[in-house]
Amino acid sequence: MKENSAEDFDGLYVKKKKKTGIKIFLILFCLLILSFTAIYFYLTIGAVRDRMNLAQSQAEGSSAVSPSLIGLMKEKAWIESRLKMAAADSIGLSIDLEERIIQMELKGVVIMKTKIRDYSTSGFFKRMDGNVYFTLFGTPLTIQKYESSIEKNPYKVVQAPKIGQEESTSTKKDTVIHENVFWTVKLDREFDLNIQGIDSVMESQSKYKFGKGFEFKRDLKNIMNSFEHILKFIKPVYTPEILISIPENEAKTILRALPRKAYVTIRI
Amino acid sequence: MIRTIFIYLFILIVGSLFLGSMILFGIPALQESSLVLPALSQTKDEMEGAEAQKALLEKDLQKFRAKLEKLTPSGSYMLVNTSENHFYLYKDKQLIRDGVCSTGKNERLVSAERNYEHVFHTPFGVRTVQRKQTKPVWAKPDWSFIEDGLPIPPAGDASRYESGTLGAYKLEIGDGFMIHGTIYKRMMGMSVTHGCIRLLDDDLEVVYKTMEVGSKVYIY
Repeated sequence: MKENSAEDFDGLYVKKKKKTGIKIFLILFCLLILSFTAIYFYLTIGAVRDRMNLAQSQAEGSSAVSPSLIGLMKEKAWIESRLKMAAADSIGLSIDLEERIIQMELKGVVIMKTKIRDYSTSGFFKRMDGNVYFTLFGTPLTIQKYESSIEKNPYKVVQAPKIGQEESTSTKKDTVIHENVFWTVKLDREFDLNIQGIDSVMESQSKYKFGKGFEFKRDLKNIMNSFEHILKFIKPVYTPEILISIPENEAKTILRALPRKAYVTIRI
Repeated sequence: MIRTIFIYLFILIVGSLFLGSMILFGIPALQESSLVLPALSQTKDEMEGAEAQKALLEKDLQKFRAKLEKLTPSGSYMLVNTSENHFYLYKDKQLIRDGVCSTGKNERLVSAERNYEHVFHTPFGVRTVQRKQTKPVWAKPDWSFIEDGLPIPPAGDASRYESGTLGAYKLEIGDGFMIHGTIYKRMMGMSVTHGCIRLLDDDLEVVYKTMEVGSKVYIY
């Protein structure tokens, strides 16, 4: 019979130590993940609540709205807002999510109209009611900032004299084929409007989701923004948004035609 | 040893997946759910005088709708889509003709030698037909000579005038911009002009006969 040596006992002690190490790592790792998730959750939800409170406080003071009249009041706000937009000299955008129509208007004349193929709105818009709705959409909104996948107003600089240049440059037809057209605007009442060019509803579900598309970029930007805020222990900014999918040519036409500070009227 | 590495890896992967899915889907979904979003409502189930308010609202609506409707010209007007180089002609609020056109090439012509700059662009907005003319003669502006590298002749010089280039008709819409015909028909549908709106001969004739002095042209 072989006797246990001192080396064998040492071996047993190391094995136990290793097992305890794994346990501690496991517990610490899980705690870290759970606490990070909890902080992330707390701060992001706090940001949403703050946005809701802001909307509520902005609407305070106005008289209560009867539920039976909301439909009529929305219609009135929509037409009144378009009339206000018509008073301006520049092209404005009106979006009717109820009828699924997006149109450009100039002095009250509909100059371009197209069907909305698909759309989605943040939960914020689904939860608002009465006064908050009229505070947000009762008057035209103003575009504050554009971001787009294609140049808004492309200009080419040509040196004079340009004899013989016209043929080669002008025979190139302006086209949107193989071009991803998407643009986003920040509106003055703290929410974003995203427009993407699609030629079928199927496309809207997949085209911009991964890789080079705008939804992917936007999600990534939002996550990075949230992380940055959470690491500093401050609430990230919650910006409600409306995403609209329309045919590509129209998405491009609207982007090019709208002035930098265009008015936008929305009916939800 | 392999078992330990496997456990470590497993914990790392599961933990990262959990965190990733919470950040990517879980929390954003929760952010939008009704659990988190309180209803923003100041509505009351039954309000006194709702019927009277309804009648008032309907009256207002009717008035506003009529006001909005009135803004669309009842006579003839034209829409020009510069992005797609397409025009639409309306009369009595009905589309009577549409077709291809050519608009500004969005180009900045620069001549450092002559210290000159000009933008070739069809301006957006609403314009009015100011003058109509048959068999128009084109009075070439300075940029035409600069573009071709020629000396600029004095005003009224014979070399400034060219007939036939603008087609059979022209409609002036202000600031030197016109709706006219073209000899460059194969370039129709492209953004190639110096800012004017070019139409094909048949379309131009209909537009000329339909649009009156004072008719509106909406360019976008």
